[in-house]
Amino acid sequence: MKGADRMRIPTPAPRASAEDAAASAGDAPAPAAPARPRARSPRAPRPWTAVALVVVLLCGGAGLLWRAQQLTGEPALHNRALSDTEATSRVADEVGGALTRVFSYGPGDTAATREAARRLLAGTAARQYEALFGQVEQRAARQGLTLTTHVVRAGVTRLDDRGAHLLVFLDQVAQRAGKPATTVAAQLSVTAERRDGRWRIVDIRSR
Amino acid sequence: MARTMRGNPLLTAAAALALLAAGGAGWGGWSWYAAAHDESAAYATTRDEVLAAGEQAVQNMNTLDHRDLRRGLDTWQDSATGDLLAQLTGGRARFERQIQQARTVTSAKVLSGAVTELDTRAGRASVMVALRITVTPPKGAPAAKESRMLGELTRTPEGWKLSALGQAPVGNTAGTAD
Repeated sequence: MKGADRMRIPTPAPRASAEDAAASAGDAPAPAAPARPRARSPRAPRPWTAVALVVVLLCGGAGLLWRAQQLTGEPALHNRALSDTEATSRVADEVGGALTRVFSYGPGDTAATREAARRLLAGTAARQYEALFGQVEQRAARQGLTLTTHVVRAGVTRLDDRGAHLLVFLDQVAQRAGKPATTVAAQLSVTAERRDGRWRIVDIRSR
Repeated sequence: MARTMRGNPLLTAAAALALLAAGGAGWGGWSWYAAAHDESAAYATTRDEVLAAGEQAVQNMNTLDHRDLRRGLDTWQDSATGDLLAQLTGGRARFERQIQQARTVTSAKVLSGAVTELDTRAGRASVMVALRITVTPPKGAPAAKESRMLGELTRTPEGWKLSALGQAPVGNTAGTAD
């Protein structure tokens, strides 16, 4: 093997390069020919590594950004219920207080309750309340009915800058003149909106 | 000459692109790191997990079919931990006899639920759940009633489980206020 190599290499190799050089020298793009092989052999791996590196960086960066977007875009994060302790207890207190106020009245003070409702309710809740409150007033007067509402537990299910959803457990004590009081449990889903720094109830659904 | 003229802007463009790509990757990495290690994000995710686990567990604890008691009660025990699990385990035999005699089928549908407290460090949470429970007796029509329950959850290696469960009392607040 060694002998054969030694025999072959010195003779055909210079001949081939000489032929190549002669052929390229004869061709039209003479200056390009010697530059090309010189540029390719040492530099060839470099542009491709660079391109690969750029592609990897671009893909990696895009992938991480996409994942970050996914993480921060999760609906869980836009909901600040409980994670923002102060805002959560504030909306729970204000909504609980509003429900207590608008669902508590006596035969003589329905006007005050209605007035409070105008302040504390808005939207659908306000319209429904207005529509029903006429009957409530009449019944309160006729039966000497006093209704007192207490919040048993209020939980915030969704909370952001402008809106909140709550689940509220209420006890409603109805006292008719000359009769023992009866307590009724109520479970409400409440939607509230923040306007001018105050929470107002815009929707109430019985559960 | 032609080569250097052609090569330089290409090289500059390539370098700029590489720099841009590196910058983009850095930005992406930083955003991802910030998002993945955001404590409030982890808290929010846990809150939603707790609510889902709590609602499911409360529903499980209000579902029982006398024809498949064993599986029903196994599900109860799977949903519980701590004191509640101890109660369920201790009272299981007696309860099985009661349900076999009553021959009722009970199913529950969660109407709404909320997490009211969550301590991720201690692994404890409180939930409130409004649900509709339907009890079908052996003879006669099914009877549905609304129910409201308060539960406490504890984190276990198998996820969040109920450690206490009870009806939200009716009339307690009225008693103290009047």
